[in-house]
Amino acid sequence: MIAGDAQTVIQLIDVEKNYRVGTEIVRALRGVSLSINENEYVAIMGPSGSGKSTMMNILGCLDIASRGSYLLSGHDVSRLSQSKLARIRGTRIGFVFQTFELLPRTTALKNVQLPMMYAQTSNKKRRALAALERVGLTDRATHRPNQLSGGQKQRVAIARALAQEPDIILADEPTGNLDSKTGDEIMAIFDSLHTEGQTIIVVTHEEGIAARCHRVIRLLDGRIASDTRQTPAPATNPIQEKATVA
Amino acid sequence: MIGRILRFPGRLVRASTSTLLRTGQNVLTAFVQIWANKGRSVLTTLGIVIAVTSIITVVSLVDGFGQYLTKMLRGYGTQYMIVNPYVPPAMRGRGMRRVTLNIRDIEAVRTECTDLRRITPFVFAQAEVAYASETAEDIPIRGVTEHYQTIRNFFVDAGRFFGPVDVDNGAYVCVLGRSLLQLLECDESIIGDYVQIGDARFLVLGLLQSKGSVFGDDQDKTVMIPYTTSLKLWPERRDQVPFLAEAIDEDHIGSAEAQINRVLRERHTIQAGQPDDFRIDRQDQELKQFDKVRNIATGVLAGIVSISLLVGGIGIMNVMLVSVTERTREIGLRKSVGGRRRDILTQFLTEAVVLCTFGGAIGVGFGYVLTNLAALHPQMVEVQVSSWSVVLGIGFSAGTGVVFGLVPAFKAAILHPIDALRHE
Repeated sequence: MIAGDAQTVIQLIDVEKNYRVGTEIVRALRGVSLSINENEYVAIMGPSGSGKSTMMNILGCLDIASRGSYLLSGHDVSRLSQSKLARIRGTRIGFVFQTFELLPRTTALKNVQLPMMYAQTSNKKRRALAALERVGLTDRATHRPNQLSGGQKQRVAIARALAQEPDIILADEPTGNLDSKTGDEIMAIFDSLHTEGQTIIVVTHEEGIAARCHRVIRLLDGRIASDTRQTPAPATNPIQEKATVA
Repeated sequence: MIGRILRFPGRLVRASTSTLLRTGQNVLTAFVQIWANKGRSVLTTLGIVIAVTSIITVVSLVDGFGQYLTKMLRGYGTQYMIVNPYVPPAMRGRGMRRVTLNIRDIEAVRTECTDLRRITPFVFAQAEVAYASETAEDIPIRGVTEHYQTIRNFFVDAGRFFGPVDVDNGAYVCVLGRSLLQLLECDESIIGDYVQIGDARFLVLGLLQSKGSVFGDDQDKTVMIPYTTSLKLWPERRDQVPFLAEAIDEDHIGSAEAQINRVLRERHTIQAGQPDDFRIDRQDQELKQFDKVRNIATGVLAGIVSISLLVGGIGIMNVMLVSVTERTREIGLRKSVGGRRRDILTQFLTEAVVLCTFGGAIGVGFGYVLTNLAALHPQMVEVQVSSWSVVLGIGFSAGTGVVFGLVPAFKAAILHPIDALRHE
């Protein structure tokens, strides 16, 4: 259990999301209430159509709820304008995508600096280098995505998510495009970030990934079907052991 | 409070520095994109290239001719007008009496037109000029008075011009243009000697300063003699004497023209409503004539430029739309890491402007080359690319970028981040 005095980072109150598809209205989320505290390591699972993508979009401020409210670090972000949402995405949320989404023809360093460019953060280069160091890619800073392996690309993406010191890291199937060994390495980075105090939410359909998290939320038909806290599965490879020890 | 006021300039500086940095970043991204799609970029900017090339070339050429003509006409004075006997083509052979313009008319103009400073009859003929064993054929012989030199700004620089006494007496004296020296194979020692003009012998009083040639017409190939002498040699010209009249200053050219018109119509008893039997050509209107040519050239230029800018602009718009579609995921990512609509709009607009300006720069280059090629022609006037035509060309191309980049940039800006990220 998380200690009672831990700060609430995310609070969803009775959130609904409806889409109009042609003449039909799809009810993607049907009243979800949820709160996630600081330094939680959460997996969101569910079959396709369960509403987990919608949930991730709303948590990531990429979309707003049709009904209900969303408090992010105590601020109500459920009715903000597009440009305010963009600002929140840029400063409070770090995204990690299945397909990495790095800018081609742009160095790893510049990719990591991208969110800071929009937020007009100072000391971009120093911060970006620090973020690259945390994912162990200092020596690849000047490489372009086409010179990096899949695992390295995802590490650059994680560095990009970290650079702004966000409230939450939101990872959407972060290992989906990687082989299992590389996927383990990426998860090891998340494990160690969690150890350092980062709040992490991973959207996945892989039980193996979910097993490494401390809390698993399962969605079904737009509702939370289960919300369980667990002791994470023991590390299975040396890299992860090292990360856990660290 | 004071602290806040003091901090304000610092914040302003920081904000503007960051805007500058971001613009720099956008321009850099634009160059990366252009470089990544080299072939496509060059092809799409073709319209812009053509437009700017035409701007540079045409403006330079028209400018060159304009300056040349202005300088030339200024050199010959712009305050004078030439009056010729003339019947409008439509009236010819319709019972109008024979057109005359004689010395008595000119004398009347001289005494009655108060806005005129100087006047000279101008009897033009061509004759053979001979000296020693050399002859030069078809030499223009100008029969004038001593006032001609002041009116045309055409003076002697060796010896002297003939004076009023020579004119009154119809003396057989002349001044030679510099080209005659070559044609007659002699030097300045010809002053004081005699040349044969037609059937008469003329004392050479002086040599005219060199004027060079205008549009291939050698101004120095001329001989000037008193008009009275001209009329003795060519008596059939007595009733057809054109004249040159100089207004007292540039502001009185119009009124002087009106005075001449009134005096001549009165003397020729032309009824109201009847056309003039003479024609007054004002030299300052030659400039205006050229201005007309310049305006036509400008119009044609505007036509070419607007069509090619339109075509170029549509090309740019097209390629930018393709680019937006190709980079939808990139747009989604940029939005998810904090890019606002206006950031995306600025980015793509910058790209369109950079692309167009790049085309404009190529156009400026071509314009330089074409202008310098034209300048190589031996009969060509002096031309050079004016800096304002470069500014105009670059400005127009950048403007095209803004106008035609707006639709694609807007399309990119309003993309929903989720849809953009999911784009295949």
